[in-house]
Amino acid sequence: MGSSSTFRWILTVIFTLFIQVLFLRDLTIAYFAFCFLYVWPLIKAPIDTPPAYLMLGAFVLGWVVDVFYNTHGMHAFASVLMASLRSPIFRLLTPANGYDERSSVSLQEMRPLWFFSYLFLMLFCHHSVLFLLEASDLELVGISILRAFSSCLLGILVFGILELFNLNK
Amino acid sequence: MNQLFQFLLRQRNFLLFFVLELISLWSVFKYNDYQRTLYFNTTNQWVASLLAQKQEVQNYYQLREINRDLATENAQLRHEVFRLKAQKAPDLKLPYYINEAVLNRYQPVACKVIDLTTQQSQNYLTIDKGTKDGLHPGMAVISSTGVVGKILSCTENLSMVISILHINNTVSAKLKSSGELGYVKWAGWQPEVAEMMDVSKYKKVVKGDTVVTSDYNAVFPPNVPIGIVAKLGLKKDGNFHDIKIMLLTHFSTLQYVYVIKNRLAWQQAKLEQSKPKPE
Repeated sequence: MGSSSTFRWILTVIFTLFIQVLFLRDLTIAYFAFCFLYVWPLIKAPIDTPPAYLMLGAFVLGWVVDVFYNTHGMHAFASVLMASLRSPIFRLLTPANGYDERSSVSLQEMRPLWFFSYLFLMLFCHHSVLFLLEASDLELVGISILRAFSSCLLGILVFGILELFNLNK
Repeated sequence: MNQLFQFLLRQRNFLLFFVLELISLWSVFKYNDYQRTLYFNTTNQWVASLLAQKQEVQNYYQLREINRDLATENAQLRHEVFRLKAQKAPDLKLPYYINEAVLNRYQPVACKVIDLTTQQSQNYLTIDKGTKDGLHPGMAVISSTGVVGKILSCTENLSMVISILHINNTVSAKLKSSGELGYVKWAGWQPEVAEMMDVSKYKKVVKGDTVVTSDYNAVFPPNVPIGIVAKLGLKKDGNFHDIKIMLLTHFSTLQYVYVIKNRLAWQQAKLEQSKPKPE
């Protein structure tokens, strides 16, 4: 990844973190769908990002969100897990002609089916782990999964809209 | 060493993942109130259940000693029961007085069964106490549920008991409800079933009645249960009931028995010997 894209990535991180902890923190749809915008940089990180960097980034990102959400460690755990599952998911979803010439994850370069299934898998891993860890209760597993699923749908919607803005550029 | 290092280097992503997740989890359970209490409660529960299981295993291995102690305690309680039963004033109009020696005549001793047979026509038991513990031939042996037999011979530390599952061994008995006298004899094959003889067919006998040792018994204390009347019929000669009883002692699972020391037995024997011989 080039230095300019790194710079852009860091800007994205700061921007999403800002939005997350200032606005989205108190936003919820019927207490079932929550928007976790801060995972956006992790999802959008270039495909050839070394997993170690990604995981460290995810950890720091999650940790900062944890500090603001007062949920010590939970977001960090879920984000690191999601970052580490990124390359398996890439391998699972390999397009017919591989990833060679494409370096960024976007609707523009990938087919919608690929992009949305990637988005769904990533978000669902993150959200389900997060909600299960937050509930820490076997009796709440159903509700946690439901929350994870609805938050996932909301996330796909929001990220899809963001991607559409990117398309027009 | 080098190989180990290379291995670690190859797995560095996984190691990093592991370390980061560990830090996160540690922080989750350390700084979040709910998760922290959950952790404490759950681990406490696990520890408690583990300790409880350990206790159960320990108890299991202590069962042998517990059984022995219980048998000893039972022997003591039985002594008390014999004493109280004898003390209970019989329904008499006459003034009656029972002296201390008669009250205390029966002294049970708990013994462990070392060996027993139930399959032959003449069955015996071996128990782990002998003359050293004050046992003598002729003493009664009972179990916690019913009669067992009487001592045939003793060595210093062991005794041989002639079981009531012995075709030549009879026990003087009575029916608990009516007080009808008779004697109990084993038929020689089923270890659960014996017969009660000498009950006239004109007496009333009901199924389910308990058969106990009679009062006129040189060996057994009175009212020790023997069995339950299970089947009624008429003897071939037509004069007596044919009574089959289910024995109350389960010989196949017998572990502890009580030998009844009769402290007045020698006096009784002496008196009976002094009977004038018929001319």
